[in-house]
Amino acid sequence: MTRISARYLGKRLVVSYLTLLVIMSLLFVLIRSMPGSFIGSMITPELDQSDIKRLRETWGLNEPMWRQYIDFMINYQTGQFGRSPTYKEPVWDIIIRRFPRTLVLFGSAFIVQFIVGPLVGMYLGWWRGTRKDKSIFTSSLAVYSMPAFWLAWLFIWLFNYELGWLPSTYMFTKFANFEWTTLSIIVDVLKHIALPLFSIAFVSWVGAMLVMRPAMNNVTGEDYVFLAQAKGLSERTVMIKHAARNALIPVATQAIVGLAFLLDGSVIVENVFSWPGLGQVIVSSVLSRDYPVSQAAFFMLAVLIIVMRLVTDIAYTYLDPRIKFGGDS
Amino acid sequence: MSTETETENASQIDSLKERWRPRIERFRRGWDRFTQEKMGVLGIVIMVVFIFWALFPDVFAPHSMEWRAYLGTEPGRLTAEQADSLPHPPAFGDPFFAPLGTNYLGQGILTLVVHAADDALYIGFAAGLLSSLVGVPLGLISGFYGNTWIDETIQRVVDVMYGLPFLPFLIVLVAIRGITTTNIILGIAVTSWLNNCIVIRGETLSLKERSYVESAKVAGASDTRIVFRHIMPNVLPLAFVFLAQDAAAAILAQASLAYLGLADFTANSWGLMLQNIKSNGYVFDAWWWLIPPGVCIMLIAAAFYFVGFSMEDVTNPQEES
Repeated sequence: MTRISARYLGKRLVVSYLTLLVIMSLLFVLIRSMPGSFIGSMITPELDQSDIKRLRETWGLNEPMWRQYIDFMINYQTGQFGRSPTYKEPVWDIIIRRFPRTLVLFGSAFIVQFIVGPLVGMYLGWWRGTRKDKSIFTSSLAVYSMPAFWLAWLFIWLFNYELGWLPSTYMFTKFANFEWTTLSIIVDVLKHIALPLFSIAFVSWVGAMLVMRPAMNNVTGEDYVFLAQAKGLSERTVMIKHAARNALIPVATQAIVGLAFLLDGSVIVENVFSWPGLGQVIVSSVLSRDYPVSQAAFFMLAVLIIVMRLVTDIAYTYLDPRIKFGGDS
Repeated sequence: MSTETETENASQIDSLKERWRPRIERFRRGWDRFTQEKMGVLGIVIMVVFIFWALFPDVFAPHSMEWRAYLGTEPGRLTAEQADSLPHPPAFGDPFFAPLGTNYLGQGILTLVVHAADDALYIGFAAGLLSSLVGVPLGLISGFYGNTWIDETIQRVVDVMYGLPFLPFLIVLVAIRGITTTNIILGIAVTSWLNNCIVIRGETLSLKERSYVESAKVAGASDTRIVFRHIMPNVLPLAFVFLAQDAAAAILAQASLAYLGLADFTANSWGLMLQNIKSNGYVFDAWWWLIPPGVCIMLIAAAFYFVGFSMEDVTNPQEES
């Protein structure tokens, strides 16, 4: 059943790991080349030179660069992220608290995107060149061109400010006085996630559609589609069962591009909605030069992207029986 | 002597005409096909409007950039009542003319919007062009030397760049280099050539198997000649499609950076207008200030997408079924 050989998987894992190492090195260099350092915010007029020196020693800034680099590389791979100078707590705690929240928002947006996008793309690709296709395609491109945060503001304005239906900040109701049963928590989170999720998904499904539409159009010329049509199967069956399945392959390839786009969207949208996830942390920690936190946040997002790439690659084999990785094909 | 050079010139012009005629013909045919796409024409129309705004802002804007509401009627000083009415909703006639209202400083929104068109176009074209200048040659090289160490190296670089989240990475780059429009454009170019490179590589991989490339190789053409004379002209249309998409993405990225407070505050851009609403807390109180900049960003980005995707249809016509 498994079409993926252990050798292929091993090779992919090694390459992914090496990619991660390079990304980490790049991060180290980039984040440290930003002007200023977090020490700056800790220095007060009462401190004299020796105090500042002690401060630098505490945070390991007096060590030579290569030493810091090696420490960073080793510590990160053993899961020791150090302490955050601005949050005053272990970086790992910050990340582990916020990562699942980003994953919830981001994951549900990803799912919505990859249900709506390919469906619309399938429809438009099948009817390519018709008036319906042209008008829907044009309007979805216009939607794709909206700045995510602006759209989010419009949603907050309409659904929170004017209609008062949905909350617009945080993941939970703060200081809520209702019973904290599982159900009420779920309902509360669903209410809070609705607007940010809608803001991200409203724009980002177009990315998946853009890939699905030409792919669908390409397979309409294939013999097996004609065969299915000749067999007298209904239009819908041919479209969904025969054509769409094969058109999904390039969509899976391009999912990673959509992923990056989605991540950008969620960084901005998290900021608009004060969603307590990684996207918010990453922006504020970069701006306050909090090296430990920003490195760790970048690191986690990079891990997320790399893992997702691996998963999409493996997903191919299940979509397309013709693809066989690493076997003796 | 002089007649000789004249005839020489004439013949040169003739041969130039000869050489360019097929290209002009091809361009005209392409243009004819392009104008059949309503979407692309719409994109061009929007772009032309914005280009006119950028070139002649004084013609389209009701006021100059220095204009402030009420200053004409009450030089130098506002009454408390007037100051309270800022940002002022759209008003026609007395005491001032502001078709789209004003912001909290009393600047006309329409004036600001028109004057910001040049910024958006500059960022779009510059960033799109730059990322094509990086992505297309790398894609060509990578595709031409497919499955060698050169290709492998470039692809690994692409992999690494994909692992970095685009927007936060852009923030770091801008923080390192300083927040100016030029640096924002450079940052966008550095982070957005990837898609370009991958698609051009794929196209090159399939093109280099074509018979005309084979025959050029047999005829002893050098690698550079094959790449630039035989393969590049065929990927250029695709490169233009991606240039347009990159331009749109760049405009959106700049707006996002502005939202996060990373914009050149001495410039005047639509993203910055939106950032000003947020920082002054008028997001839900001044719809006349909130809507126009967002719509403009959307329109210009959409125009780039429209033109890009119509061009894709022109260069890669699908059979009508």
